[in-house]
Amino acid sequence: MSDRARESTRAAEPTGFLYPFIDAEERDAGSLLAELAGSARRKIAESQAVRRDALRACAAMIDAAATAMCSSFLAGGRLFTFGNGGSATDARLVTSRFLDPPSGRALPSICLDDDRAVITALANDVGFDVVFARQLRAHARRGDIALGLSTSGGSANVLEAFAAAHDIGLTTVGLAGYDGGSMAVSGHVEHCLVVRSDSVHRIQEAQDALVSELWTQVQRRLDQVDPR
Amino acid sequence: MTFAASNGTDVVAGDLADAVAAASLTLARAFAAGATLWCVAPEWPAHAEHVAVEFVHPVIVGTRAFPAIPVGAADPVAGVRVLARPGDVVIVIGTTRATGIRPLLRRAGAWGLTSIWLGTGPRPEAAWADHLIWLQGPDAHGPGPGVPGEAVDFVLAYHLLWELTQVVFEHPGLLTAPVDEPAGEVCITCSDEGRLAEVEAVTDDAHADVLAGGRRESIDVRLVDPVEPGDLVLVHAGVAIAVVDGAEP
Repeated sequence: MSDRARESTRAAEPTGFLYPFIDAEERDAGSLLAELAGSARRKIAESQAVRRDALRACAAMIDAAATAMCSSFLAGGRLFTFGNGGSATDARLVTSRFLDPPSGRALPSICLDDDRAVITALANDVGFDVVFARQLRAHARRGDIALGLSTSGGSANVLEAFAAAHDIGLTTVGLAGYDGGSMAVSGHVEHCLVVRSDSVHRIQEAQDALVSELWTQVQRRLDQVDPR
Repeated sequence: MTFAASNGTDVVAGDLADAVAAASLTLARAFAAGATLWCVAPEWPAHAEHVAVEFVHPVIVGTRAFPAIPVGAADPVAGVRVLARPGDVVIVIGTTRATGIRPLLRRAGAWGLTSIWLGTGPRPEAAWADHLIWLQGPDAHGPGPGVPGEAVDFVLAYHLLWELTQVVFEHPGLLTAPVDEPAGEVCITCSDEGRLAEVEAVTDDAHADVLAGGRRESIDVRLVDPVEPGDLVLVHAGVAIAVVDGAEP
């Protein structure tokens, strides 16, 4: 599209995005592209704002969680991560970052979403609510760390995992969205980082920023306590 | 990403927005025509899985589900070659250092695929993919920046791709490309460069079966050094005129 065409489509109908076209004869892709790009700009700005707010609101809790995780790692603790759907992939990326970081020290982390044999066996034989809790009861020891992600804060299998983690005596770090959901009031999650948004996508983006900051602070503390 | 601290509308955010918008229109049109989206992320397979689940199981009730599948093959070239069909789309997520990305993207056109590269690092030439969605800023590991403006964010970019692709489906008249749009940037019969094709089989001393633009054809290979399956060649008027390095643009 020419710059001139782009300008003319931007000038036209700035509120057009409010009224999705139902006209199958619509043919001006330039107008749609301008609308899409404008929507993307607003979402990018919102994502940045949600992240900034979450990092600010959770600063003290990240500080406390990083201190507890640092102590755990120094005592030989391991980090278990878990979540569902997109949060499962985010959990996997948290484990990758701790276990195989681009810089800093490698730390032991296991993603409970990785083992398809165990997950499907438990889901098939018992139910999906136990797929993380049963793994924690099998693998985790007092002093390890459980980190779970749920945008709603209400995923049953994540909540069951935290209940198990609390029983076993793990350091518990939870990430939730909206108002924190059941995770925030369960009493099983010591460090509950809540992203105050009602968009699953913006929540996940801010959760990624929070766990990234958590990783950075854990590395910094380990360097201070145990310089190499 | 290098965002301005006070707003999301600086130059880099604008580039990202424009790139995602264009890729979303292409992707929506491909889905409307029956395409599958193949998701490849050699460095962080979880990103490929995350893209796929966005499309297959949308978080917003009432939005459409689309076929999107992570490619788990150790060699993404070998995997996508047998998985994808002409008209499909492949999205590759990764840095310029990732092995496997360039050989895959180099072949996508020959296989009849549309390609999207969501990447970071030194910006490659535009010819590497039909759509480059490029994140500026220091290379980072995995998702999300710790501090806004300090690192890349693949997750935001593919969330936007999903959100905008859904928006395109609210515009049914635009889900098919206009017929008067040029089919390609160069004339395929008189272009100096010729068309890129991948050798499937050498059939005799003089001929090979190749895939070009997703179509199989027999070409004359007497003008070039001996080729073997998987090699890339430039084809002009039914004749291979050069063997191409699959890792170069």
